[in-house]
Amino acid sequence: MLLKIKKVLDMALESLIMISVAVLTLDVLWQVFTRFVLKNPCTWSEELAVFMIIWVALLGSAVALGRGSHLGVDYFISKLPEKLRIKSEILVFLLIAIFALTVFVIGGTNLVISIVHLGQVSPSLGIQVGYVYLAVPISGFFMTLYSVIAMTERWSVKDIQNTQRKDAI
Amino acid sequence: MTWPIIVLFASFFLLLLLNVPVAFCMGISTICAIFAMGDLPAFTAVAHKITTGIDSFALLAIPFFILSGLLMEKGGIARRLIDAANALVGRFRGGLALVNILTCMLFGAISGSATAAVSAIGGFMVPLMNKKGYNCEFNTSVTVTAATTGLLIPPSNVMIVYSLATGGMVSIAAIFIAGYIPGILTGIALMVVSTIFSIKKNYGKGEIFSFKQTIVRLLEAVGPLLLIFIAIGGILLGWFTPTEASAVAVLYSFILAVPVYREVKLKEIPRLLLQTGVTTSVVFLLIGTSMAMSWIMASENLPQNISEALIGTVNNKILLLLIINALMLVVGCFMDMTPAILIFTPIFLPVIMKFGIHPLHFGIILIMNLCIGLCTPPVGTCLFLGCGIAQTTVSKVMRHILPFYAAMIAALLICTYVPGLSMWLPEQLQLVK
Repeated sequence: MLLKIKKVLDMALESLIMISVAVLTLDVLWQVFTRFVLKNPCTWSEELAVFMIIWVALLGSAVALGRGSHLGVDYFISKLPEKLRIKSEILVFLLIAIFALTVFVIGGTNLVISIVHLGQVSPSLGIQVGYVYLAVPISGFFMTLYSVIAMTERWSVKDIQNTQRKDAI
Repeated sequence: MTWPIIVLFASFFLLLLLNVPVAFCMGISTICAIFAMGDLPAFTAVAHKITTGIDSFALLAIPFFILSGLLMEKGGIARRLIDAANALVGRFRGGLALVNILTCMLFGAISGSATAAVSAIGGFMVPLMNKKGYNCEFNTSVTVTAATTGLLIPPSNVMIVYSLATGGMVSIAAIFIAGYIPGILTGIALMVVSTIFSIKKNYGKGEIFSFKQTIVRLLEAVGPLLLIFIAIGGILLGWFTPTEASAVAVLYSFILAVPVYREVKLKEIPRLLLQTGVTTSVVFLLIGTSMAMSWIMASENLPQNISEALIGTVNNKILLLLIINALMLVVGCFMDMTPAILIFTPIFLPVIMKFGIHPLHFGIILIMNLCIGLCTPPVGTCLFLGCGIAQTTVSKVMRHILPFYAAMIAALLICTYVPGLSMWLPEQLQLVK
């Protein structure tokens, strides 16, 4: 059941990220094209790119949490006996869930409300900036969800699949 | 040290020991520090700091350089660079090790990440070197250390992160150009060590190519290497911003990898896009929460306090740089490069500037230092990736990699105490204010 939810969630968020990264690339290339070839630089491309990267980065952070791709220092924990390690992992996800809930969901919602209240509109696309920041509470919700799933997994199942390759840049 | 700062660091280290991802360590400890100030929990302010941290067009170069790096990694570009390098340095004793190092440097000159170099070049060179009788652990050491030169030779994603961490005091173009000489110097230092070993172990010489063959192989590599002129040249000539240059790099490496070399199939692209998105998110969340953390550190005057304390006790530049180097070497062992840059740049920047060290020079020192950290256990992304690819273990590699550490440290010390190596090129191109 839980695995099923996670699978559907992963699929949805992952496709969204793939499409966004593709659009993002085309958007900036369009900007270069309009300046060099059309000699009439596009006015909205930069704004769109920044708005999209906020969404990609925040939703991607939730996906990365689900995959265990965030960079951490696992040296000391790996020295612990199996049982204690799983317990400490549950604690870690609990802390992350609390952080996601308070800062991303509650703080983020307040942020969106206050910016929408100010009525700040982006100069070239004319989008309410507050709506762009909706990415914060939404990704916070998914982060909390992924943490809860990870906690339940560790609570019930004895062996956990290993984390994937971590990529530093 | 004020009470909130003590809480900030204590909670940060505790969380780090627990293996809380570094991005969340910074966020949670920021919240703890705000509690310690006796303020209301400023959840909204922290959320705001995180979003404004990633709300930047300049940062967009990071996902694009990641994507172009992935395309180059899978797109058969490394192999063409290997062929060209082989024609140039393959003939000497221990030639394949030299080829490996030179290829890493060339790959670094068109891609911004070290992990792409380890898997693209190591995946091909290590088995080849094993077959030719080179020691497997030696091969792993060569690949892993040489791959980090790509972080000094532009384009480089960690340099974009550094430029951001200085608050724009150092432009991306300036730090890019500053990296060329230190990167090449590190590469030469690694070549010297590998040659000494090759002579000692009597490793073979590679084949000698005729002049015509050499030219043919070099021409094959012109396609990939043209990217240096398009991306870096484009930035220097003012054609592109670094972000636009990185998007053009994506287009160019896509064209090479998909229709020209036909090594990447179109249906593989979505997976690469996803990997780009996730890797980017990891970096961006780090940037966001580090902005929140450095906001707390700044509001508690931590950088100023540290610089005052240091000026009181350390009175010369040489000693200060030695202390910072030693500290960052230890940090680099335990922490990945991006979080280390984001955490320590705002702390040390005011200090080094008081001592008359240029932020550009400091950036190069910091990156060279943390490059060594990428190759050291317990946390060394390149080392672990390299060991995985070579199918060996970290403990077996350790004995062989030590001389390469020595080479990297030697290059680091030279660049630390000869600022001109970092400053001369950007000054010539008038990129330094």
